[in-house]
Amino acid sequence: MATFDPQFIWFGLVSGSLIALGALGLTLIFGILDFINIAYGEYMAFGAFVAFGLNTQANMPMVVAGIGGVLGAGVLAIALDKVVFEKFRNRSAIVLLVVSIGLSFILRNSIRIIWGSGTKRFDIPIEQAPTYFGISILPDQVAIIILSFGVLALTFVLLRKTDIGIAMRAASDDTDLAQIRGVNTERLVLYVWLVGGLIAGIAGVMLGIDSVLRPTMGFLTLIPIFAAVILGGIGDPVGAVVGGYAIGLLQELSVVVIPSEYKPLIGLLVLVVGLLTRPDGLFGEATR
Amino acid sequence: MMAYSQLLVTVLIIAIIYSLLAIGMNMHWGDTGLLNFAHAGFFAVGAYTSTVLTTPAATGLLGDRIVGLELPIVIGLVAATIVAALFGILIALPSLRLEGDYLAMVTLSAAEMIRLIITNEAWLTAGTQGIKDIPRPLAGAFPLSLGGFQMGYNLFYLGLTIAILIASYALFKRLSESPFGRVLHAIREDEDVPRALGKRTPVFKLKSFGLGAGIAGLAGALWAHFFFAINPTMFLPSLTFSVWAAVIIGGAGSYVGAIVGTSFIVGIRQLTRFLPNDIPLGSELPFLRLILIGAALIVVLYYRPQGLLGDKERIQAGQAMEGE
Amino acid sequence: MSTDPILAVENLRKSFGGLTAVDGASFDVEKGTIVGLIGPNGAGKSTTFNLITGFYEADEGSVRFRGEEIIDLSPEERSKEGMVRTFQITRELTGMKVSQNMRLGGQDHDGEKVIHAVAGTAKDREAEIGERAEELLRELELWDLRDEYAGNLSGGQRKLLELGRALMAEPDILLLDEPMAGVNPSLTDDIIEMIHELSAQGITFLIVEHDVDMIMNISDKVIGMHQGQVLTSGPPAVVQNDDELLEAYFGGEV
Repeated sequence: MATFDPQFIWFGLVSGSLIALGALGLTLIFGILDFINIAYGEYMAFGAFVAFGLNTQANMPMVVAGIGGVLGAGVLAIALDKVVFEKFRNRSAIVLLVVSIGLSFILRNSIRIIWGSGTKRFDIPIEQAPTYFGISILPDQVAIIILSFGVLALTFVLLRKTDIGIAMRAASDDTDLAQIRGVNTERLVLYVWLVGGLIAGIAGVMLGIDSVLRPTMGFLTLIPIFAAVILGGIGDPVGAVVGGYAIGLLQELSVVVIPSEYKPLIGLLVLVVGLLTRPDGLFGEATR
Repeated sequence: MMAYSQLLVTVLIIAIIYSLLAIGMNMHWGDTGLLNFAHAGFFAVGAYTSTVLTTPAATGLLGDRIVGLELPIVIGLVAATIVAALFGILIALPSLRLEGDYLAMVTLSAAEMIRLIITNEAWLTAGTQGIKDIPRPLAGAFPLSLGGFQMGYNLFYLGLTIAILIASYALFKRLSESPFGRVLHAIREDEDVPRALGKRTPVFKLKSFGLGAGIAGLAGALWAHFFFAINPTMFLPSLTFSVWAAVIIGGAGSYVGAIVGTSFIVGIRQLTRFLPNDIPLGSELPFLRLILIGAALIVVLYYRPQGLLGDKERIQAGQAMEGE
Repeated sequence: MSTDPILAVENLRKSFGGLTAVDGASFDVEKGTIVGLIGPNGAGKSTTFNLITGFYEADEGSVRFRGEEIIDLSPEERSKEGMVRTFQITRELTGMKVSQNMRLGGQDHDGEKVIHAVAGTAKDREAEIGERAEELLRELELWDLRDEYAGNLSGGQRKLLELGRALMAEPDILLLDEPMAGVNPSLTDDIIEMIHELSAQGITFLIVEHDVDMIMNISDKVIGMHQGQVLTSGPPAVVQNDDELLEAYFGGEV
């Protein structure tokens, strides 16, 4: 256990940003396709490793490599929909969930074969953290927070201002309804995979910048992401983001009351307490 | 030649222990429709319960394990089953009223939590050091000379695990075909219906969870006592997913299917070990195996939703309803 | 006919989000009678059903069954008390055989306990339940289909199976949610006849039905709902000519 340090809040914001991004992508996909994609963590890892390859093997600057990784995750999401998920479109949510388990096996181990199973780092300078107000703040972390705010803002503009985004929200409320009103559901599905995949890629690359890259990096982040999605109400983008920051902050601040080894416990705790008290999520409106 | 037959016996023992896991999972998913992703956790609880009960306390490089009771192995096996069953009930308790995919998330998280506790509470579990020198039942009596035939220990253990597998199979199949199983099946199909008919479905779900988790705990104990040593990395979520793959591939709802599916998965994992390492990608075989399992899972779900031995007619009757 | 209410609903309220589905509904169902619950779409009939049987939690109000408050009981507890329902869209268990669907309705069955299942005891009760299931299946003309998966039945057969399964639970009151929906006319008469027969045996009925003519024919009392409230209630002949209800059904066109 530790005594309170404002540093924890900073760490909480950083990991909250990552969780919020992941949760947003996962909840968007859930909203339209109505199943939990267990392979989502692998989309994140894939984006990170593509960026790693471009960065260290093709010697591209981190920014370029990062963009490449993000695009890679977007392409992967669409490709997997075309090759796999499309074939199971009319099957139950549980079947799709199990299919995504199979995919996560395939992806994680492909990453191991292509890039090796060890721990990797991006080729970026390790910097001395300057201290402001007693909080040491790395430029990378600032970038993560700003970037994630930017992506979140952009996503919400997309959801509220563009035709396709408004259709997405309509479909998320009721897939059949959208069909009746003449929205092309198949095209919508592609868009949601693209957006979800790109967001996964961004979250993955930033996770890699924040710490290290491992083939299991995405999978291990799934639990706090699940917790954030449920806390926010499954399928609710705003809720997922708020939930993500809440989980990130709670996790980092929890070290004041519990040993830091048990930080991941917060995810489970929030999951259980959240499910028992607010099965419809933070903002109450029943989404299912 | 001798080496190969020894290896085969070991592979069979692994397949049998995993089959016990699949039997438990089939009660959860095949019979009751519960999405349990905590199976590796129950397996771990069983392994550690029996180990802690049957080994002495020990000092270690990273920390001392202060609990160790040196009780007889039989007590370890029974306790492993009971403690794992209790863990199953405990995990199911808060999530009983939840829809299927919520349960999946809670159980997956709970299994990770069990692993976290095992990793960190070294006073009880020796943490990342793992526990070694776990005793084997009746180890002193082998090799046993039976009129010219030398019976090795592994063969004895194979016999023991086969006996346990047959007993478990018979027990779970009997449960599944009983009026108790009928209520579980009704919960799987549509939980509101048994509730409307006065069945206390939460209690039935807890019992299902407890039974399936209990047999997973027994499997864990059998694993620990055969392989001498355990550590937290043996109980990753990928184990749970492999068991899932086995149940789906074998055919959810069929106990024979659970065993066949497990044999298929263990077969892929173990028999590819005989491939020489100098073939292309030879050093990546462990990963290729997992890719193969993932691909098999998807292919089976696409071409044969009922699995290898599942009831095709039942699945189709179910889909007739969905289509409306 | 006795006037002793077996079921008394009082001031029942339920809203979803901002939408009030049931807004202070009160009515009685007298023992041994057939009571019809009618109203235009969105009147709150199905929600009322779900509140009475415990599948929804009421925001407010009371449901008394044989004089006892049951509002806090779970659906399974209410069912054990003798209140059994069917569902609007048939919910026969598609992946279970017809005979197993029926047997599931059997009550007080020790064979459903793990210990008896393992020991193979409580066989007598299972046999009794099996006999009763056979009796009912023959009556419903489903006996030949007993080994068929329920998902393979026709729409009308499913309605019959659901009715039979509910009867297996030996109800004192049966709540039927649109028993005629999707049933072809030749079967409708069979179902009506069956309801009369069961009513003669002392079972009380509360029926939600879209087919107003059928309800007017069969019921001793009709309750008309509109916008979550009870608009009118009384003998069919009276309710039939209730202007307010007609207004609710047909808007201002009357």
